[in-house]
Amino acid sequence: MVEFTLPKNSKITQGKTWPRKASAKRETEVRVYRWDPDDGQNPRVDTYYVDRDDCGPMVLDALIWIKNNIDPTLTFRRSCREGVCGSCAMNIDGTNTLACTKAMDDAKEPLKVYPLPHQPVVKDLVPDLTNFYAQYASIEPWLHTVSPTPETEWKQSHEDRQKLDGMYECILCACCSTSCPSYWWNSDRYLGPAALLQANRWVQDTRDEATGERLDKLEDPFRLYRCHTILNCSKACPKSLNPAKQIAELKKTMVDRQL
Amino acid sequence: MNAPRRIVTPARRVRGLGAGHSGTTTFWHQRITSIAGIPLTIAAIVIAVALLGRSHAATVQILGSPLVAITMLLFIITFAYHMWIGMQEIIVDYVHDEGFKYAALLGNTFFVFVLAFASCYAILKLSFGV
Amino acid sequence: MAGNGQGNGGAPKINGRAYPIEDHAYDVVVIGAGGSGLRAVVGCAEAGLRTACITKVFPTRSHTVAAQGGIAAALGNMGEDDWRWHMYDTVKGSDWLGDQDAIEYLCRNAPDAVYELEHWGLPFSRREEDGKIYQRPFGGMTTHYGKGTAQRTCAAADRTGHAMLHTLYGQSLRHQAEFYIEYFAIDLIMDEEGRCRGVIALNLEDGSIHRFRANMTMIATGGYGRAYFTCTGAHTQTGDGNAMVLRAGLPLQDMEFVQFHPTGIYGAGCLITEGVRGEGGYLVNSEGERFMERYAPSAKDLASRDVVSRSMTIEIREGRGVGKLKDHIFLHLDPLDPAVIHERLPGIAESSRIFAGVDVTREPIPVLPTVHYNMGGIATNYHGEALTKKNGNPDTVIPGLMALGEAACVSVHGANRLGSNSLIDLVVFGRAAAQRCAELLTPNDKQPELPKNSADFALSRLDKYRYASGGTPTAQLRMKMQRVMQNNCAVFRTGEVLQEGSKLIHEVYAGMPDIAVTDRSLIWNSDLIETLELDNLMAQAVVTMDSACNRTESRGAHAREDFPNRDDQNWMKHTLSWMDEKGKVTLDYRPVHTYTMTNDVAYVEPKARVY
Repeated sequence: MVEFTLPKNSKITQGKTWPRKASAKRETEVRVYRWDPDDGQNPRVDTYYVDRDDCGPMVLDALIWIKNNIDPTLTFRRSCREGVCGSCAMNIDGTNTLACTKAMDDAKEPLKVYPLPHQPVVKDLVPDLTNFYAQYASIEPWLHTVSPTPETEWKQSHEDRQKLDGMYECILCACCSTSCPSYWWNSDRYLGPAALLQANRWVQDTRDEATGERLDKLEDPFRLYRCHTILNCSKACPKSLNPAKQIAELKKTMVDRQL
Repeated sequence: MNAPRRIVTPARRVRGLGAGHSGTTTFWHQRITSIAGIPLTIAAIVIAVALLGRSHAATVQILGSPLVAITMLLFIITFAYHMWIGMQEIIVDYVHDEGFKYAALLGNTFFVFVLAFASCYAILKLSFGV
Repeated sequence: MAGNGQGNGGAPKINGRAYPIEDHAYDVVVIGAGGSGLRAVVGCAEAGLRTACITKVFPTRSHTVAAQGGIAAALGNMGEDDWRWHMYDTVKGSDWLGDQDAIEYLCRNAPDAVYELEHWGLPFSRREEDGKIYQRPFGGMTTHYGKGTAQRTCAAADRTGHAMLHTLYGQSLRHQAEFYIEYFAIDLIMDEEGRCRGVIALNLEDGSIHRFRANMTMIATGGYGRAYFTCTGAHTQTGDGNAMVLRAGLPLQDMEFVQFHPTGIYGAGCLITEGVRGEGGYLVNSEGERFMERYAPSAKDLASRDVVSRSMTIEIREGRGVGKLKDHIFLHLDPLDPAVIHERLPGIAESSRIFAGVDVTREPIPVLPTVHYNMGGIATNYHGEALTKKNGNPDTVIPGLMALGEAACVSVHGANRLGSNSLIDLVVFGRAAAQRCAELLTPNDKQPELPKNSADFALSRLDKYRYASGGTPTAQLRMKMQRVMQNNCAVFRTGEVLQEGSKLIHEVYAGMPDIAVTDRSLIWNSDLIETLELDNLMAQAVVTMDSACNRTESRGAHAREDFPNRDDQNWMKHTLSWMDEKGKVTLDYRPVHTYTMTNDVAYVEPKARVY
C-alpha cells in the first residue's frame, strides 16, 4: 500500500527559534525545514526572523539573508536567481515553486519553507532528484531523424515551431512532478508531468522522425496513464506552463494513431 | 542503517520492464463508457422514477418491454465496464503489495462480472419471462 | 570501467585527518557543464574518448541557461551576410585586442556550429517566409564592414541559451557521457614538468574526495561575475577554474576587461537582453531623450555594449538619470507591437513583471549597466589549448590543459565582447577543443602514475577552510570584496580610484586567513563550498584590479578617464597576470595576434572605433 503517513524517523519536530536582529524594524517570520543527515535526529522546523529592510523581496533573498546573517549551515540549492535555471525549487507556503521568483509578500506569514515533497532529502532543502533526471533522460530528449541531414538547417514552418511554445521553456525544476499525487504514489513507474511534457515537446516537433517510436515507449498503463488530470502540475508550474494540457495532447495523439 | 534491498542504476529503475504496450485502449474505452453513461444513466433514472409506486406486475411489464430492457442492459454493461476500469485504476494507483494487488484486481473483476451477469439475467428473465 | 571508482586503500593524512580518495582515470576530464563544457563532452564522446564531466550544478542549471538574445552566425537568412563582415565586427568590437586568427576561426566556423545545434533539435524561432532560422539585429553587428545593420543573431525567442543548454544536455545523454554531478573541483593536479594531470574534486552529496586522472583536462567553469556586488550572473559564477589555474602558478589574461551589460534590471540585476533593442526598444533619459543618438549617431541603441554602458553612466552622472535618486535609465519597449513582444521577447516580459513590477507593453523597464561578462581568463589558442609565457615564448602550450568558454581568453572578444558572440564562442571552441583532443589523444591510452603527493595541495586547502575558525564569516568578507570591486573597478576608472582599489582589495585578500566556516559536515556543506568559491573569487578580484591599475589606456570595456584614448603603440598587447599565495601579482604581456588564420581574409587594420 502507498504510505500515507511519514515513517518514524521522518516525523518533523519543533526546532530552534533563532535570535532576532535587534535593529530590525520590519520583520518576516520564516519557518524552514531542517534536516542534517549527520546528527541522526529527526527533521525539525527552525524559526528565523528576516529583517525586511536589509533583504530583497523574494523568498530566495530571505534564505540567503538567513545564511549570510544568522545561520551559515542552512542548506539549499540556488543559482541564477532569475527563474531560468530551476535550482531553487521548493515548497513555499504550501505550493511548489521557485524561491527566486516567489515574493515574500505573496505568501502567508509565517512563511513556511519545505523541500519538494515526496523526494528523498539529502540535507535541509536539498532533495535528491536522481530519479526525476533519469526519467527525463528516458524520453530521449534529442532530435531523432532518419532522412539525410541537410547541409543547412531543417526547415520548420513558423506555425509548426509555435507548437513547441509552452513546452520547450520547461526548466526541469520538478515543481510539477513533485506536486502530483499520482507521481507521489508511483514515481518508480509513472514518468510524471515534467518528463511527459518534455516527451510531447519531441512528439510535436515536426523535425523529429521518430514520433511512432516515442509513442510506443509511452504506450504503458503507468508511464503515461497514471495521469488522472488532477492538474496540480499546471497549478504549480512557476513558468506558467501547462503540463496537464500537454499530457492530454499526448493521450489524444495515442488515440489518433489507433483510430 | 539498513542494508539496501536493491542496488540498481537510475536508468534500470526508470526503464523497468519496458513499456506495457497497453493503456490507450483502456483510456479510450473509459472515455466511451463515460460518454455513453450520460444518456444511459438519465434513462435509467427516468425508468426507476417511472417504476415508483407501481405494482409488481406493472414493474415486470415495464422492465420486460423491449425498449426499456435494451436500455437497462446497455446501462448495466456500460456501467459495469466503466466501474471495472475505474476500480482497477484505483487499485493500481494505491495498492503496491504484489499479492494484495493481484487479489484486489481479481476480486474487482469477479465482483463486476457477477454483478453484471446477475443484473443482465434479471432483465432478460423479465423480458422473456422464462 | 576498469580502475574507476576504486578506493586507494590508504588515505592520505592532512593535518592528522584522513580523507579517503576514490580514483578515476579518463582520457578527457571536462570541468563545467555549461555550453562549452557540454559541447566538448559531446565531441570527445563522439570521438570515442573516455570522457568525464565534473560539474558543481546539474548541467541544465549552468548559467548558459540564462543567455537570452541569441547566437551570432553569418547564415544570411535575413538578407546578405558574410562571415568576413562578422569577423570585422568582432575585431572592431574587441577594440583590436582580439587575436584575429582566432576571430577568423570563430566566424567562419559559426554557421556550421549553429546548423549542428539545429540538427540536434534546438528550437530556433523561424522565419514566416521559408521556415529558416530567424535572425535578429544585435549590438555592433553590421554588414559591408560597418555600413549596414546585420541581422545575424539566431534566436529561440529570448531563451536562446536555455534552448541551447537543454539541447546540448540532450545530446550528451544521447552519447551516454559520464557526468559527475554536484562535484566541486578543488584544484588541478600538476606534475613537475608543468603538465596538467587531472583534478581533485569533492562530491557534495557525501563529502567524498575524487581524484580524476586524465590526459587532457578542460576548464569550462565560466566567468567570475560574483566578484562584483551586482551582476547579471548566477550565484554559482565564481570562476573556479580561473582560480585553480592561478593557484597552479599559471597566468590569466586580460583580466581588467569586465563587460558591463547596459541593461540589467535596476536593483535586481537580472539581465534584459540586447535583443530588446535589436527588436526596436530604446533607452531614454529623464528628459525623455533618446540619448544614444548623440553618442552613436549611426548605430544608436545598437552600439557596442561598452559604448552604451558608458553613455548611460555619463547621462546619470550629468543628472539626467531617472527615478527618485536619478540613478538609472529607462528602457522603452512600448512602441513594439505586443504580439511581437509575446512571440520574441516573452521571457523579458516575465522578468520585468517579476523583478521590476513593470508591464513592458505600457511602461519602461528601469535599467542600469551591470557586470555581465569577463573577457579575460585562461589564455588559449584557437584549439582551446591553454597557453603561458615561458622562456620568452608567449604561445607556450601548457600540456594536458585546455580552457573553453567564458573561462578562456582565446582571445576572440578582446577588450569588449559583442552580444551573441559568447554563445557562438562556446560551441565553436567547445567543438574545436574536442577535435583537438581527438587528434592528440588515443582512446584508453595509458597514463603514467601520479606523483604520490598529487592530492595534498587540494586537500590541505580543503581542510584549511573546512575547519576555518577565524572571526570573519564568509558572507561578510565576500561583501567587502564585492563592494571594493563595485566601487573601484567599474565602468569608468581612474588611476587614483584603481590605486585605492588595489590597496583595498589586497587588504580584503589578507583577511582570508581570518575566515570562519560554521558548517563542519561533509554532506552538502554549502558553507564550505561558498568559502572555497570566495577564495576563488578573491584571487580573480585581485588580479583584475591590479591588471586594471596597470593598463594606462582606454580600450573596450576598460575606460580610463585619465587615459581616455586607445594607445596602440604601447598597449596593443594582452596582459598576463600571475598571483602567488600571498596575493602578490606579477604582470607580463603577450602580443596580440595581428595576423589571420588563412589568406581568405585580410588583417583588419586598427582604426578609430566609431559606432
